[in-house]
Amino acid sequence: MRNLLHEMNPSVKFLLITLSMLAIAFFFNPWTPLLFWAGIILLQLTMSRINWKLWLLFMLPFFIGAFGYLWTTVVFGADTGGTVIWSFAGIDVTDEQWARALSLAFRVMAFSTLSLLFAFTTDPVKFILSLMQQLKLSPKLAYGIMVGYQFLPVMKDEFTQIQQAHRLRGAEMKKRSWQRLLEMRRVLIPMLAGAVRKAERSAFAMEARGFTGEPRSAYYRPVRIGRIDFLMSGVFFLILLISCVGGSWLS
Amino acid sequence: MLKSWKLKEVVLMSLFAVVFGIIYLLFVHAANIWAAVIGPLAYEWMFGIWFIVSIICMYIIRKPGAAFMSETMAAAIEVLIGNAMGPRLILSGVIQGLGAEAAFALTGYKHFNILVLMLAGIGSAVFSFVYSYFISGYAALDPSFVALMFTIRVLSGAIIAGIGGKYIGDALLATGSLRGYAIARAKKGDVNA
Repeated sequence: MRNLLHEMNPSVKFLLITLSMLAIAFFFNPWTPLLFWAGIILLQLTMSRINWKLWLLFMLPFFIGAFGYLWTTVVFGADTGGTVIWSFAGIDVTDEQWARALSLAFRVMAFSTLSLLFAFTTDPVKFILSLMQQLKLSPKLAYGIMVGYQFLPVMKDEFTQIQQAHRLRGAEMKKRSWQRLLEMRRVLIPMLAGAVRKAERSAFAMEARGFTGEPRSAYYRPVRIGRIDFLMSGVFFLILLISCVGGSWLS
Repeated sequence: MLKSWKLKEVVLMSLFAVVFGIIYLLFVHAANIWAAVIGPLAYEWMFGIWFIVSIICMYIIRKPGAAFMSETMAAAIEVLIGNAMGPRLILSGVIQGLGAEAAFALTGYKHFNILVLMLAGIGSAVFSFVYSYFISGYAALDPSFVALMFTIRVLSGAIIAGIGGKYIGDALLATGSLRGYAIARAKKGDVNA
């Protein structure tokens, strides 16, 4: 039970999440995203083994972002009519407006939670393999992306190296943040130039080992769609249905 | 579409996607903190940064699909790194990439001057704005505020992605590492630039 979300087929999970987000985006009442958010948290509580401390840490910026949405929608909201519930600094807030503001803020929360669900329960490499096997992503692209992914730590080292090289030659970091933003060029160009050379080398290496990028019928690591995926699709659609119908009914 | 692509071009896009994927993520976090203070407007002026990889890759590789695929790859890499925006980034990457691609397709993939690159930035801005309008529920906002957001995003797309993208592409060409790509051949005069 606790590893159902982890064992799902990544492509199925990806499609379900995208579909749910597109569906929720049609609703402007506060209840639908709230119910959906609650449903997703419940799903994570019962069907995954995730580190909740880390979860909170990742959610923190979105709590803040949701607050930003809340107040901009209140202040810059479209004229919707409705009765004024309170006034502040010359701004009249109607109940309609407040409901919409809450809805957008909850939407931010629901979407972030849904995204974290994916991030915390999906193995990146398996996701790419599944995109190739279930969604027919071209192997050329799929393995291309995986090469990039494998280079991540190398890039990190290179970034430190370039910075150290600059310091060694006495290139100073500017104090002001906007100046530092312009200085990014000094690190970015060498990194990109390095990336070009690495790309050439690894492409040659792949071709030398017989990689053609042709679509294939058999895979070394097959990723399949199983019974779990049908079950979980049912659960997702149930949550979606409850929040859409329940939300419209409650408001 | 991929038949005419060399593997090294695909891998090049992927490695650029890694570099820019990291930059994109840094700016997502910066923007999120900003967003708390000034609301969704915080994202708008930064949007050009998130379009830049498609313009740089198209400027270098000059093959149909370069803008669309590189932006999508950058989004995929962001998801692989792991972040709280998650799979929805892939969808927005696809849409932004299509916007830039549309601009290049309009010009028949023949011209890659600064105007076309800026047009591609604007294309990304327009496409992504339509998507944001829907997914973030801008319909709930005042039309004049939405118009302001749209203007800032288009400007950001044209200036940061268009001009910035060309600037980075040219700087990279000057390092000499791009020999063997369309951009270097065009400079020599084999292909009309």
